[in-house]
Amino acid sequence: MTSTDDESTFEDPGEALRLIEREQVNTLRHVTPDPRLMYWPWGLTWLISFGLSFLRFGPDGKTIVDMPDWLPLLALTGLLIAAGIFTGVVGARASRHISGPSSRQGAAYGISWSAGFTSLAIIFGRVSEHVPDEMLGLLWGGGMVALVGVLYMAGSAIWDVRDMFVLGAWISVVNVIGVLWGPGWHALVLAVAGGGGLLVAGFVGWMRRR
Amino acid sequence: MTDPKDAEADRRDARTDREDARTDRESAGLNGDLPELDPVIHAQARLRVVAALSQLPGGDRITFPRLQEILRMTAGNLSVHLRKLEEAGYVEVTKTHRGRTPATLVHLTQRGRFAFEEYVAALRTLIAPGEEPS
Repeated sequence: MTSTDDESTFEDPGEALRLIEREQVNTLRHVTPDPRLMYWPWGLTWLISFGLSFLRFGPDGKTIVDMPDWLPLLALTGLLIAAGIFTGVVGARASRHISGPSSRQGAAYGISWSAGFTSLAIIFGRVSEHVPDEMLGLLWGGGMVALVGVLYMAGSAIWDVRDMFVLGAWISVVNVIGVLWGPGWHALVLAVAGGGGLLVAGFVGWMRRR
Repeated sequence: MTDPKDAEADRRDARTDREDARTDRESAGLNGDLPELDPVIHAQARLRVVAALSQLPGGDRITFPRLQEILRMTAGNLSVHLRKLEEAGYVEVTKTHRGRTPATLVHLTQRGRFAFEEYVAALRTLIAPGEEPS
């Protein structure tokens, strides 16, 4: 606790500049969520669930590790919901008791995610019965991840965060590579490069604000 | 919600301040004098308040208790300094209701943001070249 109950000034301008920087860094830590807490839950979700998907539904229809066929999808759904709730709470905690343009930006961005995923889920659900089984993973995984990449890039346009653009572009590129490579490989690419990218993004963001 | 008239007044003030500051700087340059530091901001506690508020995006308002928590100040202490900043037109304090609970919202006016930027610029000119941290 600094003594603040006085009108004390500074002898040294450098001291004032250091105080300003300290206070600005402290405020930023309070009002923006820890990047690790925002990215790592998603990174782990992708790593685990796409990893399971690769092991169960491997390339050329091979089963690398024997497990119930519903397990990868159940893991994905469960982990997505958990990560969504967790990051939602962390984000809301950081911006609590602050109102104005930034909370409206945040709300619009959050609604964009939900609207995008809902639309795609309805479209993919409608056409899924006409799609061969081995292509279902590419349709759902590839489509949803394409949306994630685009939304991260759009997020960087809202908050002017370069790292977020790099992450979005990376996800978009590895997703397309995985889709072109084919079923099975796509899941492996998303688990390693996609999930790994999210883990790296959380780490880089955390290092930057230290 | 910001009253559009207030916002317009803020903008006008900021503009006039900017012009004033420019002439100040120019005359300082001519006479070789060091810039004067804004006495409203040049006090530890108020500098901390303004530095913290400057990190919120323009137009955002923060509740009094949250600001208090970030700054680690007592309520009485923060009130005193906010009042001084408010008198100078640097912050705006509005009372409102969130549901049934009354809330006090604080935000840095454009005039305050500009005064802070000028203050930081003045500090930097006071530091001899090469001595500047980071």
